[in-house]
Amino acid sequence: MRLLYIATLALLFYGCKDQKAYTSSTDPLTLEWSEILAQASGTEVSFMMWQGSPDLNKYINEYIKPSLKQEYGIDLKIVGGQGSEIVQLLMGEKQANASDSQVDMVWINGETFFQLKSIDGLWGPFLDKLPNSKLIDLSNKFISVDFQQPINGMEAPWSITQFALVHDSIDTPNPPTTLAELASYVEQNPGYFTISNDFSGMTLLKSFLAELSGSPNGLDGTFDEAKYSDLSQKLWSWINQNKKYFWKKGETFPTENTKLNQMYANGEIKISYGFGEGGIDDKIAQGLIPKSTKAYPWRNGTIKNSNYLGIVSNSSNKIGAMVVINYLLSPDAQFRKADVSGVNANNVLSYDLLTSEDKAKYDQLPKRLYGPTIEELKDHAIQEPDSRYMIKLYEDFRKYVIEK
Amino acid sequence: MPKTRKVILLLYVVMIMFPFFYLFLLSLSAEWKFPDLSPNYFGLKNWEQIFSSQSGLGVSFITSLFISFFVALTTTSLGFYVSRYISYHPRRHTMSMLAYFPYVIAPVVFGACMIYFFLKMGLFGTLYGVILAQSFVAFPYALIFFTSFWGEKIQNYEQLVATLGGNVLQGFMKVTLPLAKGMLMICFFQTFLISWFEYGLTSVIGVGKVETLTIKVFLFIKESNFYFGALSCCLLILPPLVLIYFNKRYVFNKIL
Amino acid sequence: MKILESMLSKNNQNHISLGLFFVLAILPVAAAFSYAVLYSFGVVGIANEGFTLRFWKDVLSKGEFIQSFGYSAAISAVSMVISIGLALYLTVIFHKDFKNRILSFIAYLPLSLPGVVAAFFGVQVLSKSGFFSRISYNLGWTKDLSGFPDLINDQFALGIIFTFVSIVSPFFLLLFLSIFENEKIDELRKLANSLGANRRQSIWKVEIPILLHKSKKLISLYFIFLMGAYEIPLILGREAPQMLSVLIVRDLKQYDLTLISEGYVIAVIYSIVIGLLTYLIFSRQK
Repeated sequence: MRLLYIATLALLFYGCKDQKAYTSSTDPLTLEWSEILAQASGTEVSFMMWQGSPDLNKYINEYIKPSLKQEYGIDLKIVGGQGSEIVQLLMGEKQANASDSQVDMVWINGETFFQLKSIDGLWGPFLDKLPNSKLIDLSNKFISVDFQQPINGMEAPWSITQFALVHDSIDTPNPPTTLAELASYVEQNPGYFTISNDFSGMTLLKSFLAELSGSPNGLDGTFDEAKYSDLSQKLWSWINQNKKYFWKKGETFPTENTKLNQMYANGEIKISYGFGEGGIDDKIAQGLIPKSTKAYPWRNGTIKNSNYLGIVSNSSNKIGAMVVINYLLSPDAQFRKADVSGVNANNVLSYDLLTSEDKAKYDQLPKRLYGPTIEELKDHAIQEPDSRYMIKLYEDFRKYVIEK
Repeated sequence: MPKTRKVILLLYVVMIMFPFFYLFLLSLSAEWKFPDLSPNYFGLKNWEQIFSSQSGLGVSFITSLFISFFVALTTTSLGFYVSRYISYHPRRHTMSMLAYFPYVIAPVVFGACMIYFFLKMGLFGTLYGVILAQSFVAFPYALIFFTSFWGEKIQNYEQLVATLGGNVLQGFMKVTLPLAKGMLMICFFQTFLISWFEYGLTSVIGVGKVETLTIKVFLFIKESNFYFGALSCCLLILPPLVLIYFNKRYVFNKIL
Repeated sequence: MKILESMLSKNNQNHISLGLFFVLAILPVAAAFSYAVLYSFGVVGIANEGFTLRFWKDVLSKGEFIQSFGYSAAISAVSMVISIGLALYLTVIFHKDFKNRILSFIAYLPLSLPGVVAAFFGVQVLSKSGFFSRISYNLGWTKDLSGFPDLINDQFALGIIFTFVSIVSPFFLLLFLSIFENEKIDELRKLANSLGANRRQSIWKVEIPILLHKSKKLISLYFIFLMGAYEIPLILGREAPQMLSVLIVRDLKQYDLTLISEGYVIAVIYSIVIGLLTYLIFSRQK
């Protein structure tokens, strides 16, 4: 009984150990980088990110976290969340006048960036302060513009990626590249295609919308309600006409990207898709999908975009967040992330701006054996349209397709 | 006739034991794809990961234990104490009914509506916030649970103690408490389970920062990592199994 | 000692107890409910602009909410009927066998399985690439993955019902067994027999009614619990229709911040209905 009592007290103290982050009233932007590094040491940084990719989680947990602890003395805590969850969390905190946020940095892009800016949820501009930001080529419109919004240093690019479709070259030698081809494909092979109700499914729909607009640049510019209305109605009627040939007769749709990957690996679906130019090398390396798998672009083009890291406006450890983000932008961390059997994500650093030593390291990285490189898909790249298209697609997909 | 009885009972036993065996098997496997009936890998490598920092399973297990233990201890004791007052109150019927509401409401919906208040209290996304939130569900249960204990019989005992010259404290320690021992254990067990099994409320108030074992299971399901999912399920089932084994006679209770 | 005595005086204790009761049992629900009501009328909330009936009108006119309500109630009812049926069957026919130490221990085992684990297990065995599908494939019953029928994420909520039943029936089995003992149903059965009733009559007219009557309150409570279940339908359900808690949480987390109030409208309606049902259960008791 006494032992129990002591154990309880001990655990109570363990719980109270909630490290308090570094707080200061000095604007971090006025400090020297060396001072920033010094002050960040010994603090805790909370990073809210999408945890749906096992490889990325492994990269963060097994490489980034220990390196940060060892080299910078920073404790990185991961919190799961993405998109609207981040926006709602920060808005809820603002509403309740919370003095400091639960998270310090966030993994975002597009519509999340848009919404966070509108509620003043991001701190910055901070990008220029990070030493490694000089290695990024900001003249690249796919990096410096996020869903038609210039980033203006308010978020730091983390990876650049292009969306592609995936098929088995032996089983499905002539995969569809247009809506017409897709319609006849599903009619002849019912049950092997579906649209996932998450960001990758919506990105596929954007490719479809662009095709319906008649050109790869059809969705450029600010959000056009009339254009959206017109194109989306055509899209929903195409889908509703053909969905009886989809997986589960189009009566339900998967909600996770990983489920889609799994179904492809199982043979439950035969056409898959995703960012990372299809993301097939890592899965082939892990023995999940056959070596005959290939990735390809939609004829009218697929979305190419970057994803970013932002710092929360009422974070109490902006300094720590800056150090973490700078580290994630470093050549070592970026190259590690490009591991074709692991995360397999492109780095955002410009080759020309690297030191000759890093150039050599980059050249020696194992190249993809199966999937196309982002260079190879260049001619089929579409700019991300205004984020309101994405928001409306989510809503209307549910309204006009799922609930029909 | 006896033969069909045996078969049915056997079927019953198999159906009960199957999930346990299957999950245990799955936790020891890797690379087990359709249509194989047995995994390509079978061994301890998943379990070895428990103690490594990468999977975070060891930490989650201890966090969950701490939270559930704390919730069970406080809600059982407070519930026991407060239920006495309620049971002797003239309005006890209304009060008991009111106590049902927080217990009957889906915890996840309850939690979602309370986020604002937790933010204001600075408890949002913290360990103690989760403990408090779970207590809001477990305390009413304890209240309801103990109302069947306090009654005429106990009142008579208390009066007896007073007549014999004992004070309130003595009466409590030497008479009431021993009589309640069995029920206290059951309530502890039940409230422990309420907290231990809770996912929705924990994920809403803890934002994923407070990583209990149930949160981990969901994470693995999201990642389609079924082997670790099975592993965390095994860890999740372990304490309840142990508690059932030791307290079998105490485990089951009717809240009638 | 005197100070302790006065501290523990009846009056003080009553005040403390009342205070605790209020703070821990009444206040949280009241606060949460008020917040939800205010949010549903647009008075508080992100992206809300003030009192409006718009959200209430929208939700009540859209079919989705009513559909979800009916769906949840139906699933819950079917699961309860099957669970209670199974539990009754096992109790009435096999109650003697359950006195055996080993069997009775096994009967307790399912209590250690939470909803999450049951749902996970459900996915593992019932999905198209799951255990049963593999057995069927290896036995030659299905040619490939897609040949296996949809048992989870399907329109009849088979997976959800299966999992609900596997969690709820063990509990009722134990409950019925304990009532059986306490009400000495065995004796009643012998009595009925001696009065000329045969086995069937005894079961249907004596034993089952008593078992059901004694557990009425718990049956109603479990019906309410299942209706508000979250984890299991989250994993095993479909996109539409969705069970109530899944729908509410989804609405509360949606992209369009101006529509979050709709989630609170549903939450308020759900709470009121649950409250009424609970009140009904209680008022019958007297």
